[in-house]
Amino acid sequence: MKKWGELALGVVTSIGGFLEVGSIATSAQGGAEFGYQLAWVLLLGTLSLAMLMEMTGRLAAVSKRTYADLLRERFGYRFFVLPLVAVFVVSLLVLASEIGGVAIALQMATGVAFRWWAIPIALLGWLLLWRGNFSIVEQGTAMLGLVAISFAVGALVLHPTWPTLGRALLPSLPSHDRARYWYIAISILGASISPYLYLFYSAGAIEDEWTIEHLSVNRVTAVFGNVFGGGLAIAALVTAALVFAPREIKVDRYEQIALLLATPLGRAGFVFFVMTLFITCFGATLEIVLAMAYLLAQGFGWNWSENLKPGKDARFSTSYTVLLLLAALPIVLGMDPLSLTNISMVVTAASLPVTVIPLFVLMNDGDLLDTHVNGWPSNLALVVIALISIVLLVAALPLQLLGGG
Amino acid sequence: MGAVQLSHEVIDTQLVDRHQEKIGRIDELLIELEDGKPPRVATIVIGGAARARRVGRWMLACHRAVHALFGQREEHASHVPFGAVRCIADTIEIDVDGDTLDSMHLEHWLATRVICPIPGASGERK
Repeated sequence: MKKWGELALGVVTSIGGFLEVGSIATSAQGGAEFGYQLAWVLLLGTLSLAMLMEMTGRLAAVSKRTYADLLRERFGYRFFVLPLVAVFVVSLLVLASEIGGVAIALQMATGVAFRWWAIPIALLGWLLLWRGNFSIVEQGTAMLGLVAISFAVGALVLHPTWPTLGRALLPSLPSHDRARYWYIAISILGASISPYLYLFYSAGAIEDEWTIEHLSVNRVTAVFGNVFGGGLAIAALVTAALVFAPREIKVDRYEQIALLLATPLGRAGFVFFVMTLFITCFGATLEIVLAMAYLLAQGFGWNWSENLKPGKDARFSTSYTVLLLLAALPIVLGMDPLSLTNISMVVTAASLPVTVIPLFVLMNDGDLLDTHVNGWPSNLALVVIALISIVLLVAALPLQLLGGG
Repeated sequence: MGAVQLSHEVIDTQLVDRHQEKIGRIDELLIELEDGKPPRVATIVIGGAARARRVGRWMLACHRAVHALFGQREEHASHVPFGAVRCIADTIEIDVDGDTLDSMHLEHWLATRVICPIPGASGERK
């Protein structure tokens, strides 16, 4: 019974964890400019993330070490500096974007300009991390994040054409604006496969004291949670395709994205959108800043746990405190949250090889995983994800220049 | 009994003290060379400079620049005799009290000066 409880909780957590500022913004942009056509990219991103989370969760449950621990231990400090710096820079940008997302939600709700909200949001996040334990962060925000189901309701109310959507789940080439199409595709992948997601998930497996007994929970959580979460992102894309595309509206401000739900659901839709933006971005803020503090603490061997009082892991708790304030700065200075989101999603996509390729080595290490090493289907999937990540690395900058405008 | 690969199973491994508290990772191992005696692994080094040196001179220069920025002249590194190792497994346990290690200077300074004065910081578990 307890296991079923854990299972349900895990799936809910993943749904809440998937949808955040990046996936909302990039899905809305994709739907507005290319209709259903980019749905296949969301499917690809969702399946890739599900695979990566299943593997890092399995690695943690069997080896009793997090992915960050093993990046340092198995590849040495000289190599570890590379993912450390890449993930750190990328995550700081994404963290700032999430704080921007929460701030925009509050601006929509109150009329007070978003930049005034950045510091209060950082302080509220800090207070939750300071006083709360891992379960509160993981489950509290995820449960509230279920309000994101309003995206699915919005899409259904608008009666999407299912056969067209079905066809869009297979890759296709654009008929116009090729650079823009691939730019948004890369942004969607960056939003779907953020390294913080699997670093947080892997540390969470240790916080929740997972063992080999939890491997089935891990598999179901990673696959179903992400498929449901990805489904909501596809719903956002479908809604944007039906609301924005016919009116030829290009999304370049968050306020426009609010129309996504206001059009099918009226005033309640607007309220649901603001709530979804606030809760999912706030949840992601907590997860990202924890993932960054975990990465530092695990990489350098400090004491760490969100379940310990801050005085017991001073460097860990100082890290999340400083990082929250640091990430709030661009928003305080008035940087446009949507531009920041777009840049950080592309940079995220470019950073993927340094965390995806080492996983291939670790998942085939019998000393760590014993009989739970990857089989050939998982290895094949990982090779495909690694190849995609290399393409993203090479294509990100040119596409930012050609299609980012 | 069996052989242990230093580069694979010892360097960069998580260190815990005799109270099972995490106290850093093995950043460097020193081999002692004495006339007439075979070389032996003598010392575990825990510290930022040792780590930085492994990456390259540029990283060491960055490390020193950061220290200078915060007005720190001396490096807080720990040199622990390899003989203090009690167990080599997923973590390496050494028979020392982590609180006495110089490499834990920042942890203690932050805990006493910055973190613990804030309400809700003290105690064991949340």
